[in-house]
Amino acid sequence: MIAAIPALKMPIRAEAGLPRRVPARLSIGASKGPKAKVDWADLIGRVAANGDREAFKRLFEHFAPRIKGLMLKAGCSSDEAEEIAQSTLIAVWRKAHQFDPATAGAPAWIFTIARNLRIDLFRRRARTDRLQAGSELPDEPDQAEPADILISRGQDAARIALAIRQLSAEQSMVVRLSFIEERPHPEIASALGIPLGTVKSRIRLAMNRLRDILDEEA
Amino acid sequence: MTISHHPPEDLLADFAAGKLEEAHHLVVGVHVSGCARCARFVQAIEQLAGAALEEVEPAAIAPDAFDRVMSRIHEAPKQIAAPPLASATDDDVPPALRKYRIGKRRRVAPGLSLRPIELSGSGTARAFLLRSAPGSRMLEHTHTGTELTLVLEGSFSHEGGRFGPGDFDYGDDEVDHRPIVGDEGPCLCLVAMTGDLRMNGFLGRLIGPFVRL
Repeated sequence: MIAAIPALKMPIRAEAGLPRRVPARLSIGASKGPKAKVDWADLIGRVAANGDREAFKRLFEHFAPRIKGLMLKAGCSSDEAEEIAQSTLIAVWRKAHQFDPATAGAPAWIFTIARNLRIDLFRRRARTDRLQAGSELPDEPDQAEPADILISRGQDAARIALAIRQLSAEQSMVVRLSFIEERPHPEIASALGIPLGTVKSRIRLAMNRLRDILDEEA
Repeated sequence: MTISHHPPEDLLADFAAGKLEEAHHLVVGVHVSGCARCARFVQAIEQLAGAALEEVEPAAIAPDAFDRVMSRIHEAPKQIAAPPLASATDDDVPPALRKYRIGKRRRVAPGLSLRPIELSGSGTARAFLLRSAPGSRMLEHTHTGTELTLVLEGSFSHEGGRFGPGDFDYGDDEVDHRPIVGDEGPCLCLVAMTGDLRMNGFLGRLIGPFVRL
């Protein structure tokens, strides 16, 4: 979907504070390997239609380790990342019938599930801590987990995919490092070998560009 | 409803990534749920996140993870006790907030009342519904932190423009504003606030400690 995003291979947690140049290696979608692209949407459809365990296992084997990897990058502990990865796949099974390939790609859909579970995990933990501290509301039942406010989704996944392809590789990269992998700006600066000020301005430009492209498409 | 004031893009991106603290997540989320333009932006960031998920280095999963997931799937889904919902006849509470426990309305000044929204406590910002009478002039105030405001009903104006239903206003310590509520009716806002609100003037000092703003 996004052809031109360089992959960063830098164990952020283990070596925080040790800046390292990352070669700006571009992975082009077509050169990812000879194996045919797996149709994740089809696998999710099979899980929804008849609880296809084999299809689910392929989803699990592909996505669970990646969810865990992304959550580790974003600062979760290993236990938290494992729990979020497992819970996400359980939700994929249970919500498979809600997946609509016209409104989101499978990876984006699975990301949103993992994201919401992480939010819920942090809220639940905060609530538990508060209850254990005995400060207030000891007898109250748990609240609903309100992470996923319903966002109406138009039938425009393809248009949005088209729009983000218009971002430059540099812009996509900086958005990803800053917002999705949640790395602090100084770390992005040393990872990409650019000045801190450039990181900030590049993020700004990427945000504005994305907004402009989406407005034009609308 | 024409929305003319939107959250800044970095706030939308943080929302899409799930990075915002709870009160901010709530206010931005309610805006996005009613704003097709911002929903598209959020979806774009989610697509980028999906691409990142595809390319991230996989981390080793527990050896028995798949079996554990399958057995959890075959357990009956946990019955979560239904939360006490705001009454459907409670016209102060927009549908997006019905999952939250919302406190009783407290009058904080003539023509000004608020209802606190109960959050998990994972963040530091407070969230509340603020209702102000038509035509009233809000207290002159400055912030020590940030204030995210979403208009739900009515309108207010300050030097940044007019803010009607769906409009989003972002205030930080740079801003010193004194909004005037529109004449057409009461103004109901959803507000997330970090830091302290410094009320200027006598009345502000008087009510400041009381409302814990």
